[in-house]
Amino acid sequence: MRLLRAELSKLVSLPSVWTAFAVGLLVPSVIAYLNASSMRGRNAQAAGLDVGFEELGFGVIAAIILGVVAVSSEYATEGEESAGGRQITASLTAAPSRGGFLLAKIGAVALAAAVMSAVATAATLGAVAFALADAAPPMGEEVPRMLGVVVYWVLTALLASAITLLTRNGIVPLAVLILNTSVVSVTFLLSKVTPLASYLPDMAGARMITSRIHSSVEMPPVVGGLVMAAWVAALLAVGAAVFLRRDA
Amino acid sequence: MIQIDRLVKRRGSTEILSGVGFEARAGRVTGFLGPNGAGKSSTLRILLGLDRATSGTALVGGVPYARLRDPLSKVGAVLDGSGAHRSRTGRAHLRWVAASAGIGRTRVEEVLAQVGLSDAAGRRVGGYSLGMGRRLGLAAALLGDPETLVLDEPVNGLDPEGIRWLRMFLRGCAAQGRAVLLSSHLMGELAETVDDVVVIHRGRVSARGTLAEVTGGHSSLEDAFFALTGGGGGGGR
Repeated sequence: MRLLRAELSKLVSLPSVWTAFAVGLLVPSVIAYLNASSMRGRNAQAAGLDVGFEELGFGVIAAIILGVVAVSSEYATEGEESAGGRQITASLTAAPSRGGFLLAKIGAVALAAAVMSAVATAATLGAVAFALADAAPPMGEEVPRMLGVVVYWVLTALLASAITLLTRNGIVPLAVLILNTSVVSVTFLLSKVTPLASYLPDMAGARMITSRIHSSVEMPPVVGGLVMAAWVAALLAVGAAVFLRRDA
Repeated sequence: MIQIDRLVKRRGSTEILSGVGFEARAGRVTGFLGPNGAGKSSTLRILLGLDRATSGTALVGGVPYARLRDPLSKVGAVLDGSGAHRSRTGRAHLRWVAASAGIGRTRVEEVLAQVGLSDAAGRRVGGYSLGMGRRLGLAAALLGDPETLVLDEPVNGLDPEGIRWLRMFLRGCAAQGRAVLLSSHLMGELAETVDDVVVIHRGRVSARGTLAEVTGGHSSLEDAFFALTGGGGGGGR
């Protein structure tokens, strides 16, 4: 519990985590508001089915930033002539049990991602409801998909952390994961080439959020979530095995 | 008390430590001296469980560091600068370290005052001078009121006033019965601070004993150091 509190304290006092939070809150809610506004009057009932949720799928970059910086901040270094230093030495002298440290880190990232996604979901769907006014789709039926957003963000944050545990540097995982989510979705393009790509973590996880996926593979949302969770568990296991063995 | 015994560390084909052994006793300041690259930091990193030894043991009060129950109350360590992330404030850094050991926030303010950082505690570490970073690291080490202090190159980057302050501070710690182990490649600053000396050169201990024993036969600790490490003045930076 102490270690979890320490890890949460680290996240809260890191400015880039707040940047991630702002991105995750503003980007999907503003885009969703604009999209929903442009639909007003048209066949909003039909078009409104995915509005909000697709933007939340895009807002997952906030979870990526969170997951990456939570780990990369431990290894950031600026050379000998600085007042800082690699934080991992301070972390592991304060918490010499590496397993305990890692569990606390993973727990804190998951918790922070869950809070971020819940706030972002509320804001984004609220913006959609506001923009569409009476034409807004009823939200009561969407509770499972809202949970899907939270699970998707949490798993994505953990995926980012697991990869950064291996690279010990935030730049590569940050660039690759964000580009894949925003500019060019390599995993999406792959899924055009081979149906197997539908089982990649982000493609599978997206089933929890959006119904509009062009793929030959049929996959219910729960299965998609489980496929993604299996990927995350496997990558975390590899990351943990390396972390436990390697010199800090 | 720190006991290091026949420590060997290999990385690939290079042997960084070849059987390092010494003790740092309670109530005394032990200087761990050697040129850069001699194996000082590697020894201390193994002692603190950050790196793994190929063979040999490093114990704190008879126990490996990784198995200490409440590490911050046993050992206060400063390695690698302060270990604080540059975008955090000094106070935020100390607060998470304190949280990990269940130490309250009043203690954070106490150690900030103790090292003279109270006024800078709300600023980000990225804007600190090297000396302030050292003080922050020391503040973190003091949080748990530890029985032992382990400091890697603590005088690096300190101005003369800071060095004098640190010297008096460490003497005070030893007088309270703590064991203090500090590494350095600077001899002059240490002669007045240490009780015991361990000289390491190329991964081997080349001399150990009280300051008088190691200096014996040489005009100063500095002369003894260069004689023992075979350096003709190239030992320092």
